[in-house]
Amino acid sequence: MASLSIQNVKKSYGSVEVLKGIDLDLENGEFLVLLGPSGCGKSTLLNMIAGLDTITAGEILIDQTVVNDVHPKDRDIAMVFQSYALYPNMSVARNIGFGLEMRKVNKEERERRVDEAARMLQIDHLSDRKPAQLSGGQRQRVAMGRALVRDPEIFLFDEPLSNLDAKLRVEMRTEIKKLHQRLGTTMVYVTHDQIEAMTLASRIAILKEGEVQQFASPQEVYEKPANMYVAGFVGSPPMNFVPAAVVNENGKLGVSIERTANGTRGSVFLALPEDRQGISEWVGRDVILGIRPETLTHRSDSEMSINNRLQAFDCQVEVLEPTGADTLTYIELGGREVIARVNPYNTTEPGETMAFMVDMGKASLFDPKTELRI
Amino acid sequence: MTDITALPGGKSPWQSAARFGLYALLIIFAAYYILPLIVVLSTSMKDLDEIRNGTLLSLPAEINFEAWGYAWNEACIGVSCTGLKPYFWNSVAMTIPAVTISTLLGALTGFSLTKFKFKGANLIFAMILFGCFIPFQVVLLPMAQSLGFLGVANTVPGLVLVHIVYGLPFTVLFFRNYYVNIPDDLIKAATIDGAGFFMIFWRIMLPLSPPIIVVTVIWQFTQIWNDFLFGASFTTGGGQPVTVALNNLVNTTTGVKRYNVDMAAALITAAPTLAVYVLAGRYFVRGLTAGSVKG
Repeated sequence: MASLSIQNVKKSYGSVEVLKGIDLDLENGEFLVLLGPSGCGKSTLLNMIAGLDTITAGEILIDQTVVNDVHPKDRDIAMVFQSYALYPNMSVARNIGFGLEMRKVNKEERERRVDEAARMLQIDHLSDRKPAQLSGGQRQRVAMGRALVRDPEIFLFDEPLSNLDAKLRVEMRTEIKKLHQRLGTTMVYVTHDQIEAMTLASRIAILKEGEVQQFASPQEVYEKPANMYVAGFVGSPPMNFVPAAVVNENGKLGVSIERTANGTRGSVFLALPEDRQGISEWVGRDVILGIRPETLTHRSDSEMSINNRLQAFDCQVEVLEPTGADTLTYIELGGREVIARVNPYNTTEPGETMAFMVDMGKASLFDPKTELRI
Repeated sequence: MTDITALPGGKSPWQSAARFGLYALLIIFAAYYILPLIVVLSTSMKDLDEIRNGTLLSLPAEINFEAWGYAWNEACIGVSCTGLKPYFWNSVAMTIPAVTISTLLGALTGFSLTKFKFKGANLIFAMILFGCFIPFQVVLLPMAQSLGFLGVANTVPGLVLVHIVYGLPFTVLFFRNYYVNIPDDLIKAATIDGAGFFMIFWRIMLPLSPPIIVVTVIWQFTQIWNDFLFGASFTTGGGQPVTVALNNLVNTTTGVKRYNVDMAAALITAAPTLAVYVLAGRYFVRGLTAGSVKG
């Protein structure tokens, strides 16, 4: 186990700046997920932590020691690759034991540890097979076994699940989570899948174009996204963005939104809760209101009476998309398409007007120019 | 794979006729190519009387390997009548180290050009590749000077050196193009596991290389064994390879022309390359097309 500190790390290829000063600090035993679209520099950063890529500027510290000039094999890290990178000519057992063999661990010790790792991952019956004879999930397990057997200070995962089919991916995700809970080792995990990030991470770093957009716990990233990019990237279906104006109505601050109800277009006022009233400098200006689909649903008077953060409005329904548990209800607010998550038994036919309520306590406000959270 | 001849609705009379024509043409071509071999083989088994009295295409009255023994042990190459034997072993002593060393060096160079990429690796590869297009004749004079300077002129080791140098562009090309398709992640994983340059080469790359090794060995063996120009230019007398000796045997202007011995000598000279093709030929095609489709 080890702490990991990344201080103002930069990477350039020629004149192209891939990473523009990354700062991340990781406690012992944390699970960091680097999340971002392809080309955001997350894999480059992981390779730099592993020592497979040089650092242009800044420092990487493992357990308070600068490792910029330390060879990958001496960093006490283990890495699992997206392509698994199993040695095709070696059996499963030799694959797992190769790292120990290179470190001159004696044969009995090696066999004992390989066996232990194989049993932990339930692949001990495959020891004599070659990688070509294994299924995708089994290969993934062997790749993890190869990392596990070395008992490293830090585990690095480079999109380890993206080559698996959907069902197996969910299974292996849980497996990795269990592994982390059991070993308690510091892990760094690269993915473009926000669900993997949410389910696995103790903290998520969201990257875009070589810059960290937000570095926080999954819950905070979800509830208080630092900017519209993060808000749109995390969550499925994504957060709704509604153009709105901040207004003061009867001494209360809130937002005013355009919408159509019962055939007539008009604006509706949604009051902000008590703790969000400190934005008086925004009165009269345009903002973007961010609403998660599950905080926008059909109106329930009983719930509204106990929770004063819930605000009601009517709106015409455009499209219904049943998913079984919920029906995704498409409406139009402020000229934008908005999705509400509605109980299937409370929906209204498309074209008709329906009563909604929105939890303004869970809503986010963004500056339309900077796209930052207000 | 779908057999396109077995698709439904593909059996009209016109198509049957076309198929007949196709096979007829193929048989004619096959005969055209096999005939010289039959003539050479049958002539090598006749005695001189039979050759003088019979026709070219007639088969030998009895199987008779006398000419083969004569070509191997007694035929006169220039002024020394030792047969092809010593020259054959010269060729073996030249071909085996030259093929082994050029293949190994090609593998190592191909490996470092693809997996341990350094600045200018592509430029160096392009320059090495350029060597493939230099005709033999261009390097004759500078090579002769180098051999003299190194003190290995007119020796088998000298020829080995020439063939290694001339073969490297091809072996590097083969291995480089093969290794470029092996995923970099393998090398990264091995690096993290603690393996160094030679360990990765020995334990991971070489075990993956048999298809391309076979291609390279066949290519190099054929090139080096069949070479005439370098052998004729850089050696004289006892140091000559078998191809040069064969030429001297056949082109001798004294005594009776022994066609059966000439034919036997030609077959002895060609035998090793033929053997390599028969033994490893199927890997050759497989290796050449490796990586062309995703497996």
